[in-house]
Amino acid sequence: MTFSQQKRMSYYAFLAPGLLLFASIIIFPVAYSLTLSFTSFGGYGTPKFIGLANYAKIISDEVFLHSLRNNLLIVAISVFGQIPLGFLLAYLLHRKMVRNGNFYQTMIFLPITISPVVVALLWNQIFSSSGMVVAIIRRLTGENQYVMRIFEDKQLAIVPILFVLLWMHTGTYMIIFYANLQKMTPSLLEAAQIDGASESQMMMRIILPSMVGTIATTAIFAISGSLKAFDLIYAMTGGGPAHYTEVIAIYMYINTFKYYKYGFGSAASMIIVLLAVGLILLLQYISRKFERRFE
Amino acid sequence: MNMKRLLSMIFMSLFLIPALLFATGTKEQAKDSAGDGIITLSVYHFLDQTDKTTAPNFQYLVDVFEKANPNIKLSFEYGYGEAFHDKLQTMAMSGQLPDIVLLYPGERTSQVTNAGLVQDLRPYLSGHEDEFADMAMQGQGKNGEIWELPEDISITSIMFTNNRLLKELGLTLPKTYEELLAQGPAIRAAGLIPISIANKDAWPMQSCVAGMLVERACGLEWFDKAIAGEARFDDPEFVYAMQIIKDLTDKQMLSPGTNQLTYGQGLDDFVQEKAVYFIDGGWTVNNMVGELSAEQKTYMSLESFPDIPNQKGQSLSTSATAGQGFGMNAKLSKAESDAAWKWIWFYSGPEGSAIRQRFGRLPAYNLAEPKDADPMIQKLVAYAGKVPMGYVMDSVLAAEPIGTFNINLQNMMFGTKTPKQVAQELEAMVAAIGR
Amino acid sequence: MRKRLTLASVLSSMLMITFTLLTIIPLTWMILSAFKPHAMIVRTPLAFPMSWYVDNFILSWTQGHLGIYFINSTIYSFVATFLTVFFALSSGYALSKFSYKSSRVISMVYTLGLLITVHSVIVPLFIMETKLGISNTRIGVILPYIAFGLPFQVFLATTYIKGIPDAMQESAIIDGATFFQVFFKILIPVATPIISTMFIYTFLGNWNEFILVLTLTSDLSVRSLPVGINSFAGGMSRDYGLQFAALVIGTVPMILFYLVFKDKIAQGFAAGALKE
Repeated sequence: MTFSQQKRMSYYAFLAPGLLLFASIIIFPVAYSLTLSFTSFGGYGTPKFIGLANYAKIISDEVFLHSLRNNLLIVAISVFGQIPLGFLLAYLLHRKMVRNGNFYQTMIFLPITISPVVVALLWNQIFSSSGMVVAIIRRLTGENQYVMRIFEDKQLAIVPILFVLLWMHTGTYMIIFYANLQKMTPSLLEAAQIDGASESQMMMRIILPSMVGTIATTAIFAISGSLKAFDLIYAMTGGGPAHYTEVIAIYMYINTFKYYKYGFGSAASMIIVLLAVGLILLLQYISRKFERRFE
Repeated sequence: MNMKRLLSMIFMSLFLIPALLFATGTKEQAKDSAGDGIITLSVYHFLDQTDKTTAPNFQYLVDVFEKANPNIKLSFEYGYGEAFHDKLQTMAMSGQLPDIVLLYPGERTSQVTNAGLVQDLRPYLSGHEDEFADMAMQGQGKNGEIWELPEDISITSIMFTNNRLLKELGLTLPKTYEELLAQGPAIRAAGLIPISIANKDAWPMQSCVAGMLVERACGLEWFDKAIAGEARFDDPEFVYAMQIIKDLTDKQMLSPGTNQLTYGQGLDDFVQEKAVYFIDGGWTVNNMVGELSAEQKTYMSLESFPDIPNQKGQSLSTSATAGQGFGMNAKLSKAESDAAWKWIWFYSGPEGSAIRQRFGRLPAYNLAEPKDADPMIQKLVAYAGKVPMGYVMDSVLAAEPIGTFNINLQNMMFGTKTPKQVAQELEAMVAAIGR
Repeated sequence: MRKRLTLASVLSSMLMITFTLLTIIPLTWMILSAFKPHAMIVRTPLAFPMSWYVDNFILSWTQGHLGIYFINSTIYSFVATFLTVFFALSSGYALSKFSYKSSRVISMVYTLGLLITVHSVIVPLFIMETKLGISNTRIGVILPYIAFGLPFQVFLATTYIKGIPDAMQESAIIDGATFFQVFFKILIPVATPIISTMFIYTFLGNWNEFILVLTLTSDLSVRSLPVGINSFAGGMSRDYGLQFAALVIGTVPMILFYLVFKDKIAQGFAAGALKE
């Protein structure tokens, strides 16, 4: 066996186990559901080909559009909420602006260890009419029939969920940024400090530019995670009341598993993938521009 | 070049292996593999294994059956809530339906029954039809097939009433809808909820209120016509029924924030006497047996929602349906089918029904009134014996129109859809799917 | 410097304290409620438990079969995590150090894998597993866990290994070592920090996974903790005491796990996992 043969064989051997599993468990079923998305398959009988009809129907469905809006809000809260907050917290910890930094770091990261189903139940208990928040407000106002009306507002019902998502995920980003900040050569900052640079100047000129890559990468995870968000929301509200908190993954789930519309549901899950690819390409375009500017 | 070919071969095989797996048929498992005459049957059942009432009760039934039939071994899998249906659907699609499976009479499990995956039970049942409530013997398939033997009659709309609170407030049981509405301010002033109902899950308003109101406002005759396509769901009578739900909401007759209360909180508020009335199905009696104190049981009564103005339906009617029950896999052999039928007949027939009646259920099998049962069960049996019954909407309409209708009721309660729009959308969906 | 930052440090302390309270209060409330009987939780949700009512734990442990679920969760989490990390490392090595053209395509395919929801593959997957006869077995759960864990882990491994200087392996190869020897003897020891991060992340994900194990298994003996917890909390079970106790049983082990390994997580990321 020549060296290059040996190299090629090793290459395949290293890749094979992972790729084999990945292909048979994820790629193949996805291909299967891509095919189904062009049919009106309803669970039994032979699938009937209907072209893009499912996609057309989804895009004109009011419920889908509201779900899409909710998904985009979740993307927004992750990209413009969790990531900057995570960065800010990491920065404060890194620059030792608070005492007991280690303790705070532990506490802020803690929620990520808890299963989304548990988080949902916990917060449901807290917000529910027999829960903690309502009990406090009832005691404070003396109004014993008080309930939180925010859950019944079409536009705002998603807000408590956004809040819980923020609580859940900020810690992850904080840890990632914290770790990367620590990796920076301290001499750079020291030199800047000696030159009399202010805190904000250091942040803008030195720290942020070196973090562009990390920010872009975390944003990719934030986007893909946000678009397939399901567990937490399904366990908290099931998409209700009246579809107000529905997201695309729940929309897909209800159509597939409750209404037995496999073709339709498959089309919805393909839309999630398409959206994510689109957003990530956009993000890569933006971050490349930024990188160039900082160079 | 070489690498490309190798790579494409690897990819090809990656796709082919799973494809072959799909293509091959499934081997039938031998049920009596040990040859010791014991038949093992898999059973899929809807049960909350952590429920302190239903889980031990069900286990008791299984124990009695297995003692009487030592040659039949049942191996259970339980599902609960939405997860039950997800799993059932996945099993049905992959041709892996268990030998015995819990099914619903209406559309909820139609993906199993319509696909011909279960047997028609009529041949096994013949001769015993008269022993069941008529409602339970209505055909479930297109040709009148009985896919599952209903265990219970589900009365879905009962207005449980706390007579102690009524008396304390100086009120009496309302005879008309207007009287009920008039009681609202007094009840709320006392810091109580007029009608406890928890509608976060969106089905209770439809199942426990809407069906009953449709029978009242439109009459059973109209209901039959609407199902057959001769009347429309956007007829004014139907809109009127929706309007009543809207009024109950606007006049603050229902639990505050009813659309954010998870099912169960409605009962909680009633058991803790925070509510004067409580609308729910007959199945809750099961929980009341354990949760109400002996004293509470003396002053809690089962009533019907009062009559509405211009009522076309029957006075004080409720809505009811034959409940779920076990069906059996179409692929079973003769011996297996006979064994499966033994369990089905035990469960929904005289023996199991008598046991379940004592636990607080309302069996579809005709039984004598239980003399020694819990007072709440006696009240339920007496109630069932005297009230006229209409249809439950989710047992006569398909899953998607009902799912949308449930949600639209919430929309209507929030004021984002009018009763008329709710009715029109239901008609449109039912018409699109085909009745 | 300290003086100049007073306002900033007050504000930042407040931010930290807010986040900390948001974590501590709900968790404390959960733990305290678990020691209260149902009726007390409903009547006085805020009150401190009058006595330590441990029946909730005993009942939920026995009724919910949490013991066997606990064992299964441990098996799934350890086995699947170990294999995921191992396969991800070997893939990462192949994708970052062999510079074949196909590497780019394969990396992209893995990135797309990040976007796939479990629900869109669950039905075909179940059909496949039943035909193979591995549904309702532990293998049948572990394999999909690995597959779903791979995309993120391959990404972590690839970026990390890219950062390891080529010189190290090249000199070993010149000395006559095989690529496998390089992988096991050089790469894995160097990659220890990222391995612990990968391990912890995957472990947490597997421990909390619900939908796959629910759909792909049916026997009580092969199901895991989230299924058990959900049966208390998912449906109409109305005993909040039991519910809270089950939540505590499912949550506390992971919190402890995290407290033990938390420094490793930071180390792993510091080692360059998420830097381009």
